[in-house]
Amino acid sequence: MARGGVATKLTELGRRHKPDYRVPLYMGLLMMLGLIVMYAIGPQRAQVMNAAYGTDFTATYFFAKQALSLFLALGVFVVVSKIPLAWWKNNAQLVFTVGVVASLILAIGGAANASFVQCSLGACRWFDLGVFGSLQPAEFLKLGLLVFGAGFIAYRAKQGVINDIYKTLIPLGALLGLVVLLVIGLQKDMGTGLVLLAIIASMLLVGGVNLRVGMIVLGSLIALGVLMILVAPHRIDRVTTFLQGDAASVDDAGAYHIAHAKIAIGSGGVTGVGIGNSVQATGYLPEAINDSVFAIMGETFGFVGLVVVLIIFGALLLGLLQIANRLTGLYEKLIVVGVFGWLASHVILNVAAMTGIFPLTGITLPLLSFGGTSMVFIAAALGLAFQLSAFTSHQVTNERDKYENSRSRRGLGRTRHASSGRM
Amino acid sequence: MPTDVLANRRIRILATLSMIVLAIFVVRLFQLQVIDHSKYVALARQEQEKRLIIPAMRGELYVMDDGKPVKAVLNQTVYTMFVDPEIVDEPEKVVKTIRQIVGGNTVKGYEDSVYQEDTRYVVVAKKVSYTQAQLVREKKLKGIGFQAESARVYPEGSLAAQTLGFVDVDGVGQYGIEGMFDKQLKGTDGLLQSVTDVANVPLTIGDKNINIPAKNGKNIALTLDRSVQAYAELALAKGIKKSGADAGSVIVMDPNNGKVMAMANLPTYNPGELNKIQSFAQVNNGVVATPYEPGSVMKTFTLATGIDKGVISPDSTYNNTDYIRVDDRVISNASKGQTGTITMQHALNWSLNTGMVTIAERLGDGSINRTARDTMYHYLYDKFRLGQKTGIEVYGESAGRIISPSETEGNAVRYSNMTFGQGMDLTMVQVAASFSAMINGGTYYSPSVIAGSVSDEGVFTPEAQRETYGGIIKPSTSAKMRDMIVKARTAFYADNDRKGYTVGGKTGTSQTIVDGSYDNGQTVATYLGFGGDTKPKYVIMVQVSGKNKNLAGNYDAMPIFTDISNWIIDYLTLQPKV
Repeated sequence: MARGGVATKLTELGRRHKPDYRVPLYMGLLMMLGLIVMYAIGPQRAQVMNAAYGTDFTATYFFAKQALSLFLALGVFVVVSKIPLAWWKNNAQLVFTVGVVASLILAIGGAANASFVQCSLGACRWFDLGVFGSLQPAEFLKLGLLVFGAGFIAYRAKQGVINDIYKTLIPLGALLGLVVLLVIGLQKDMGTGLVLLAIIASMLLVGGVNLRVGMIVLGSLIALGVLMILVAPHRIDRVTTFLQGDAASVDDAGAYHIAHAKIAIGSGGVTGVGIGNSVQATGYLPEAINDSVFAIMGETFGFVGLVVVLIIFGALLLGLLQIANRLTGLYEKLIVVGVFGWLASHVILNVAAMTGIFPLTGITLPLLSFGGTSMVFIAAALGLAFQLSAFTSHQVTNERDKYENSRSRRGLGRTRHASSGRM
Repeated sequence: MPTDVLANRRIRILATLSMIVLAIFVVRLFQLQVIDHSKYVALARQEQEKRLIIPAMRGELYVMDDGKPVKAVLNQTVYTMFVDPEIVDEPEKVVKTIRQIVGGNTVKGYEDSVYQEDTRYVVVAKKVSYTQAQLVREKKLKGIGFQAESARVYPEGSLAAQTLGFVDVDGVGQYGIEGMFDKQLKGTDGLLQSVTDVANVPLTIGDKNINIPAKNGKNIALTLDRSVQAYAELALAKGIKKSGADAGSVIVMDPNNGKVMAMANLPTYNPGELNKIQSFAQVNNGVVATPYEPGSVMKTFTLATGIDKGVISPDSTYNNTDYIRVDDRVISNASKGQTGTITMQHALNWSLNTGMVTIAERLGDGSINRTARDTMYHYLYDKFRLGQKTGIEVYGESAGRIISPSETEGNAVRYSNMTFGQGMDLTMVQVAASFSAMINGGTYYSPSVIAGSVSDEGVFTPEAQRETYGGIIKPSTSAKMRDMIVKARTAFYADNDRKGYTVGGKTGTSQTIVDGSYDNGQTVATYLGFGGDTKPKYVIMVQVSGKNKNLAGNYDAMPIFTDISNWIIDYLTLQPKV
């Protein structure tokens, strides 16, 4: 890659102005909501875990740990927003390599039954760091793929070969193939695999692939997805569970999970049962504080509460897209779009599974679910977007519009300003 | 088209797409939470609401101690200990802890429990005490759990075991009071309908909870006196050992109200160690459940009948030849040589069968005719209430049998035998209760072991006196009988008794029926007597038996009576005559 060229461009990010404080605002709101939920159901969760696994969690354990993760995540957010984008660009390969190597160590360690590897049901996804908790190397892959993929796609787009199968799609496909092999193949983590694909797909879309290439990419992704489902029995179960809907037997773990997520959400009604009154969190709903936190919030805060949560997520996602829209450089745009893809895919996959409209993939709800790794890396990604939000420019974008040829101008028209203003 | 213009158009596509997806979510949530809300509430309730039984506490049993009820059978929480092999992380340490702390309570194969697969619940020990459970808990080992349950505890060990009965593994009362009053002791289980967590632990969440408290079982206080019972058991055990007998029973009764102060049977068992029971004889309450031929102690009843009917007095005489013919049978005396004209007192002292047959003849104006037999039956069955259930509140009472003159078997030969206690099947409780009526002035008090009930707060409520039947014999007859029975005892055994007290009694030695005929090689020893100061205060009946053993009333049963009698005089603080 022509690093020099990009470095020059970086200095031309534009005049620095106030960043978009909506990003930390929405992030903070979601974090606080998550903390309230941990406070409400943490004691029950501790009781369930202690009873079922003989652990020794105190009533405030989950709340305290979540608060700690939250402060750590805020710290990471600030640090990442201060590290210049140039550093990220220059070290994109490094971050990505760390993720790949960590995943490989995890796979080897898991096969060797190493003590630093946490496995459950045959899937080894976490490093056990003792007192520091656990770390999921797949998160490094997300961040690495974000900064590395954005650079690559932006570079090819500038070269005008974004739709070139040999120059763009095959290298990108190889990269994705490696990542998918690590995450879905070795770590058996379909959810994270889909998030990685979503990051690349959203960047490709904004990077300007045409319909034909888009269809090729989409087609091969679907083929890959089907293949992945077919090679792993637990995924077949999840899909059949989903297709059977309410008729699925609750003896099966996945069906049980979805059925109870729906019971939790449904029984919440319009305003919910109130803080501390969640019954599903007392052991009925699996992963109550992790992947199923959306369902528990549904039970606790009701329709109103979940709509508020979705509105905050929607505002954050639209905010990200607005920042991307106003950024002048394609690379910067793609970074923020990638962050959008990351966050959006997490939210959509999680909520869709909890409401029973998409099979279960086992993925966290960003900023709300219990767990440090997910929160820290989402905060890092948002930190990047926050940094870039200080370099947006309405002016440049508008001026460019004036020099467009009439054909594309017809396609854009005035409504575009209106709609972008509303964003 | 410039790349960033295209990019911004694509960004708007992304924005639109994500908004559409979020809108779909909102619609879906509206469906789940608003439209189908009641359906999911129903599903949630169906799963979360459990109907839990609140077990009622089984009533506890009390015995009397110095006139106050004290606990003889109580409930204690014990624990069933289990391991969850999936959580156990130090299997050797777990096994070692189990062996060290609850080694005596383990179930077979507990050592392998921690290595079992495909299970999360393996019972390793039962009836673990709270202290043991705490000791194990302090080790903070993973994968060990306890389930509380209630168990009967017997602080007095085997005291009054056959009267108390026991509770079997299914919690059902068997034998004794436990068997008789199982329903009342059990109480009524309560119901808790509540939202629970996944482990069925009730939560305080929700407003549809139902809580019907359990009604604990009734606490029953027995008339048994702890000290009298203990002493009776001790005296019986000593006596049996001395005689080399196998079995024996003692009943101690207050003749003035029919209350049983002690009811002892050997062999016995410990209700806390049911697994050690070897034979039915151990749990059988022979005093109420095993009828037998009491033998010569029944002579007192023949005398009482004769005196009450006015056909004899204690001083009436008859000519004793040691033999007397009844129809085709000749009845002889066990002790011979007291021939000539002798008094009825003399006949009682020497336990002469001929005297008793003579009384029966006099009841029929010279022969044991229908009138004589009807009179005897009327006294034995209708007045003394022998050969029928007394209604004593213990499981398994037998009626025994007195054959009526209206039956062909109720002929003169049988009735002549009945005058000295053969040819009739009676339980000790029947005889003791009737004997009480004979010496207390003529009032039959239905025997009872129930003193009353004790509330959970410890307040004792006495039970009403059971049925009484007054005037079954004349008071004067009763007085004469007391006198005769005291004389019968003092004629030979006066030195054994404490001076200054009225103590009387009669021996009985009866052959047992082996294979349908009387066997002289196996006799049962009985002693029936009373004691008191100005009036009778206690009735004691003792019976000792043994396989192929010749046991005699005066040698084998009487010493046990004497032992208890002398002790109980002190215990009841009776005042000696001056």
